Amino acid sequence: MATITTMAFMATFPAPRSVAQPSATLPSRPSVVSFAARAMRAHGRRLVAVAGSPSTPPELAQKVTESIKQAEETCAGDPVGGECVAAWDEVEELSAAASHARDRKKEHSDPLEEFCEDNPETDECRTYDS
Amino acid sequence: MAFCSPHTTTSLRSPCTTIPNSGFRQNQVILFTTRSSRRSTTRHGARTFQVSCAVEKPIVIGLAADSGCGKSTFMRRLTSVFGGAAEPPKGGNPDSNTLISDTTTVICLDDYHSLDRTGRKEKGVTALDPKANDFDLMYEQVKAIKEGKAIEKPIYNHVTGLLDPAELIQPPKIFVIEGLHPMYDERVRDLLDFSIYLDISNEVKFAWKIQRDMAERGHSLESIKASIEARKPDFDAFIDPQKQYADAVIEVLPTQLIPDDNEGKVLRVKLIMKEGVKFFNPVYLFDEGSTINWIPCGRKLTCSYPGIKFSYGPDTYFGQEVSVLEMDGQFDRLDELIYVESHLSNLSTKFYGEVTQQMLKHADFPGSNNGTGLFQTIVGLKIRDLYEQIIAERAGVPAEAAKV
Repeated sequence: MATITTMAFMATFPAPRSVAQPSATLPSRPSVVSFAARAMRAHGRRLVAVAGSPSTPPELAQKVTESIKQAEETCAGDPVGGECVAAWDEVEELSAAASHARDRKKEHSDPLEEFCEDNPETDECRTYDS
Repeated sequence: MAFCSPHTTTSLRSPCTTIPNSGFRQNQVILFTTRSSRRSTTRHGARTFQVSCAVEKPIVIGLAADSGCGKSTFMRRLTSVFGGAAEPPKGGNPDSNTLISDTTTVICLDDYHSLDRTGRKEKGVTALDPKANDFDLMYEQVKAIKEGKAIEKPIYNHVTGLLDPAELIQPPKIFVIEGLHPMYDERVRDLLDFSIYLDISNEVKFAWKIQRDMAERGHSLESIKASIEARKPDFDAFIDPQKQYADAVIEVLPTQLIPDDNEGKVLRVKLIMKEGVKFFNPVYLFDEGSTINWIPCGRKLTCSYPGIKFSYGPDTYFGQEVSVLEMDGQFDRLDELIYVESHLSNLSTKFYGEVTQQMLKHADFPGSNNGTGLFQTIVGLKIRDLYEQIIAERAGVPAEAAKV
């Protein structure tokens, strides 16, 4: 009995640091998932994963959110007045600017692509279709 | 003192003449011309030579679109047809809306706002309202560019909502004004050599704006809807009426091939081309002036769902004679595109397959698999053709005069 418990104890004992380096990252990933799973179960909230899409620069995103809030407030009082319309126009303008900023970010995400656009004849950028 | 702009390339064969200019004092003037080997240097007010290059007077194109300016897909396709990639001016204001390529300069008409964002909020007007725009300045500057003069154009910063200090714009070969009101003012309208209106139907606009804005944390379906609804009265009053003045209208509607489709992925696109416009020959299918309905998918071409449907015919649009070419559906493969291209006539291509090549070059642009990309590319080729005809006419006139 004693040997079994000792062995069980040894199995759960964390691996010595020197050996664990290469696999150091591996245990961390499952722990995140299990933590998230625990959080989900605990709070019953749905976790939405944003898969690496280009995000708006934070100041612009903040401006968009604020302008929407302001438009909703202005229009709550007076739905057809000029101020309400101007407020929603501002939301549209900022949303368009945010979308342009996202596109620009996407375009400039790869420095090699940018370099190759200007210099397609260099060795790094040559493409061969045959 | 006139100097050739730094954007001059060897392809710009502008005649440069040297004029002796006595009385012009300058310490040292060194002039190089790409064509002639004449080099003149002088010191301390001795005889100086002034090299002046006759700048080509640009052709001016107007594009009415609601989706912001300059970086839109249409503009990138257009500039790509003329050659070269269009980029914001280097070294200037990073928030400039202007795009410059070797042959083309695209400016955003938002730069002519007379009221900045705060001003508009105070007065309770939208950017769509003519009251928020300085049409006098727009007319003056477009006129100046058309005459071959450089302009100091204000910049409207879309991020801050303020009017930034002006930037210098040199006259290019092709000058495009893009924005909400290119055809609103009559004087500006008369300066345009060609005008295009991008007419997006309400359902498609809604679907596109959802796609664009749902990534924003603050937006919800209601806020997007409210934004479109609030702008609609001003849009219908001020922007929509410009359609009747356009030489070409690209109308984007929901597809008729899929019943109850509300995703806006498959589109029905109409290219409405005005008849009788100088240097503009409408594209046609099979037989000019007749009415054709064509489904290319069949024995020779297999298409996947929902397929492709074309129609062509004469029509009237706001009381004017037009030809309408319509495409419903989407392209899935290269051979569908080339098949369709080979059956269209009057495309103004320089070689067989040019439309397909242009579409493939920008396969990652939105609309590359449906009528929006196709018709935008075709309009780009038509504008190139228009440009070449105008230049030929200008060159032909002095020859005519010399003959007499």
